[in-house]
Amino acid sequence: MTYIRTHREEVSIAAALIVLAGVLAIAAPGYFARENLSDLLLGNVPVLVIALGMTLVIIAGQIDISVGSNFAICSVAAGVLVKAGLPLPAAVLGTCVIGGGLGAINGALVGYLGIPSIVVTLASMVALRDALRWQTQGAWVQDLPINFQWFGFSQSSYPTVVILTTTFLMVFFAWGMRKLAAGRAVYATGSNPEGARLAGIDTSLVVFCVFLVAGLLTGFAAVLNSVRFNQIPSNGGLGLEMKVIAGVVVGGAAITGGVGTVAGSVLGVVLLGAIGPALTFLGVSAYWERAIQGGIILAAVINYARSAAGSRH
Amino acid sequence: MREVLPEAGIKQFRIPVVPAGVWILLAALLGQVALFSVIAQNFLSASNFVEVLRFSVELGLLAVALTPVIITGGIDLSVGSMMGLAAVVFGAAWRDWNLPVPAAACVALLSGIAGGGLNAFLISKLQLPPLIVTLGSFWMFRGIAEGITHAAVNYTDFPKSFLALGQGYLANVIPAQVPVFFLIFAAYVVLLHRSTVGRSWYAIGSNAAGARYAGIPVSRRLGLAYLLSGLTSSIAAIIYVAHLGQARSDAGTGYELDAITAVVLGGTSIFGGRGNLWGTLLGLFALSILQNGLHLAALPSELSGVLTGILLVSVISLEQWLPRRGIHRLDQPEEVQVKNSQVAVLCAAVLVSALIVAGTNVWLVRSVGRSPEEKTAPATATAHRPVIAVMPKAKGDPYFVSARAGAEDAARELGVDLIWDGPTNLEAAKQNELIENWITRRVDAIAVAVENKAGISTVLRKARDRGIHVLTWDADAEPDAREFFANQATSEAIANTLTDEAARLLGGKGDFAIITGALTAANQNEWIAFIKRRLDKYPNLKLATIRPSDDDRDKAFAETQTILKAYPAVKLIMAISAPAVPGSGEAVRQAGRKDVNVIGLSLPSICKPYVHDGTVQTVVLWSTHDLGYLTVYGSAMLVENKIPTAAKSIQAGRLGKLEVRDGEIILGPPLIINKANIDQFDF
Repeated sequence: MTYIRTHREEVSIAAALIVLAGVLAIAAPGYFARENLSDLLLGNVPVLVIALGMTLVIIAGQIDISVGSNFAICSVAAGVLVKAGLPLPAAVLGTCVIGGGLGAINGALVGYLGIPSIVVTLASMVALRDALRWQTQGAWVQDLPINFQWFGFSQSSYPTVVILTTTFLMVFFAWGMRKLAAGRAVYATGSNPEGARLAGIDTSLVVFCVFLVAGLLTGFAAVLNSVRFNQIPSNGGLGLEMKVIAGVVVGGAAITGGVGTVAGSVLGVVLLGAIGPALTFLGVSAYWERAIQGGIILAAVINYARSAAGSRH
Repeated sequence: MREVLPEAGIKQFRIPVVPAGVWILLAALLGQVALFSVIAQNFLSASNFVEVLRFSVELGLLAVALTPVIITGGIDLSVGSMMGLAAVVFGAAWRDWNLPVPAAACVALLSGIAGGGLNAFLISKLQLPPLIVTLGSFWMFRGIAEGITHAAVNYTDFPKSFLALGQGYLANVIPAQVPVFFLIFAAYVVLLHRSTVGRSWYAIGSNAAGARYAGIPVSRRLGLAYLLSGLTSSIAAIIYVAHLGQARSDAGTGYELDAITAVVLGGTSIFGGRGNLWGTLLGLFALSILQNGLHLAALPSELSGVLTGILLVSVISLEQWLPRRGIHRLDQPEEVQVKNSQVAVLCAAVLVSALIVAGTNVWLVRSVGRSPEEKTAPATATAHRPVIAVMPKAKGDPYFVSARAGAEDAARELGVDLIWDGPTNLEAAKQNELIENWITRRVDAIAVAVENKAGISTVLRKARDRGIHVLTWDADAEPDAREFFANQATSEAIANTLTDEAARLLGGKGDFAIITGALTAANQNEWIAFIKRRLDKYPNLKLATIRPSDDDRDKAFAETQTILKAYPAVKLIMAISAPAVPGSGEAVRQAGRKDVNVIGLSLPSICKPYVHDGTVQTVVLWSTHDLGYLTVYGSAMLVENKIPTAAKSIQAGRLGKLEVRDGEIILGPPLIINKANIDQFDF
């Protein structure tokens, strides 16, 4: 019972997932076919990986809406690096460095110059996206080496690799946020920056680092997504930031900072990622999908507000 | 005593009339004006200024409405979606419920109040964070608008008297909507800067708990700001409809970010408590003039995004580091302690922006330097080389990118100057704005791939009145708004070819699914309508579902994966957006479903791997190179008056003799591209 009380958010999303699964089991059992679940998982892994970084950013009391543009740049960069003849591991590293670098610029402007994160990342979202358009003129990266797709693994073994990597990342971040001093510093900075500073935490560094991590993970997610294909479009990640933020927020992270868990975010992303295809399976017209998703976000938020009000009494 | 004490007390909380940020912005604005007067043609003219005003109205209304919201420390992301919803409600009320225009406008305003009221209720009564609430309503409002119209209904043919509000002039000089804007602006100024309501917004933004203790009805005042924001968005929607002559569910897409940018640029603090409407007005002009100047200087539209980002960050960071006079806040020490690391970061940021600006300059100089060099090339060049401005529907779309190569070939061959620019996304209002700018720049011919027929025709007619030749390509405007239409293939021919191919591959019987572009894409919706009509010929062919891809390869991939499992009977995927064909192809290939065919409308270059391995059977298209070539060639012929109005055919350079019929230059039937011939095509 104490677990339910202290993990209200996670429990309510898990309940929502169970209800969804129940409805699907009756109305569209085909949803639970192994291939469908595996496709869904692979399709949502990039969102999930970025959501890990976004969870840190939001817990630190900041926001990053430039991840979609960063994702597009990293996707193209991965292709360009591989075509330039770099071996795959080096290209992956290079892409993560580029993603991390772009994240670090955001982090420096927010952490050290004190410009609000929504302003900084709004500017970099627009600037990066248009810079990429200008540079590529809309051209795709084509003629990639044959071993680019699936990282050189086979199509059947690749999901295992991705699941292992992602699980490792999730466990690491979930553990780190609870047990590491750095993780606690992120919570402290988010819930009371001035208090954290007085307690000896370098809050500027914390803010800088969460953006850096978000950038690194965005770069990695771009690689994970790109290797599922054999060519790379130059307009990837459109609207990705909204998907990621929605998942994290539905997962119970408070946009005001200091509150949220990695597990919650993972559940939130899974719930939102599962609903889209579920609506197709249930035969809901595509025209109403967006309205339903908006409604779910509002419902989740209202639910938290009520439970928060309940716990206050 | 009475004179001294209250004076000292009040001074502490006084907010300066012109904060430091506004001065910086004013300087940036003047810098822009100075720069563009030098490099842009006809920039400094009254008529240009007036047109800039016209295009700023809708965005301006949103920015004005957002200013008090942000001053209370909140945010409203739903304003753009609210515009889409109100526009659709207005159209539906007028056409479907047969209400007169004023009554329909009232219904639209009511929808704005309802939407704003919903936000207000959730934020002020339930005390939910504004960012989350409006993120939810951002999706929900747009979703409802798409739901009621099925994203396809486009309300047009509004009465002339109504359209005058968005397209007409007062006293032949002032655009009709500009006074409306300034009226609302004035009302907001009074409310925010001259009333107790406004003072309480500032108080809430500085310290909500303090405001409550001071006796301010915080929740009611907070709600009012969001309610007004919804109402003002619906006013913006009505003006937008009058301006473009159409009401569609995509009205105002992406406006929320531009509006927030304008407000923040204007010195309003995103944390609340600080800012004013005059700054917002300046921020709005800084954005509009930047875009206008870039268009007039024939610089690519992508630059405006990059420069807007740099402008935003540099203005805000300068503002952070200039001492704020007149505000003494308890949480700020009197002297700002500047650490070395902070100075280093600031220097680095300035250095990076300087590098980017320098890079831009190099590019600028190069582009300026290139034209005289080309000028000397043709021996017959006269003093004035014709300038032909060609607009694609969206700049980054691979389809239009490949058409550009053909356009450039023709320009080189004929010795004309080509301006190739367009919206960076499918934004209906941007096309109109760009054409207005080209009229101001006095180009010789304009060729447009039309995104919205009803809205663009007005401005094209204006161009023709000013003696500019007008051609349309890819998609047509109203016939009297252009001289010729370079027609690659009719929508009906495309739809029929695709449906016939589907029937052939399925043996006339079976289920198929369509992956379209955005649900609101006009072209695709027209094709779908023709495809459905053609299906009458094939009674055993069944359209199982239509899914959107938003012109995103990865989304098309995911949607196809789902369709394959949710509709196991589907044996053919018809993808009618260029990036969707490779997306669907990859999904079918990875699923190993050899029994499923993929056909569609796309570019051979990006489909090649899938056509070769047999996943994609047929790609239907025309030569995009030739279409681009014909567009520029035809425009150049118009400029030199080489096409008589009664012409039955024209000699179009390397394309040879082309048929002209009912004001349309026909490129030829659509190409059917398959494994056998795909290697012949290089676009």
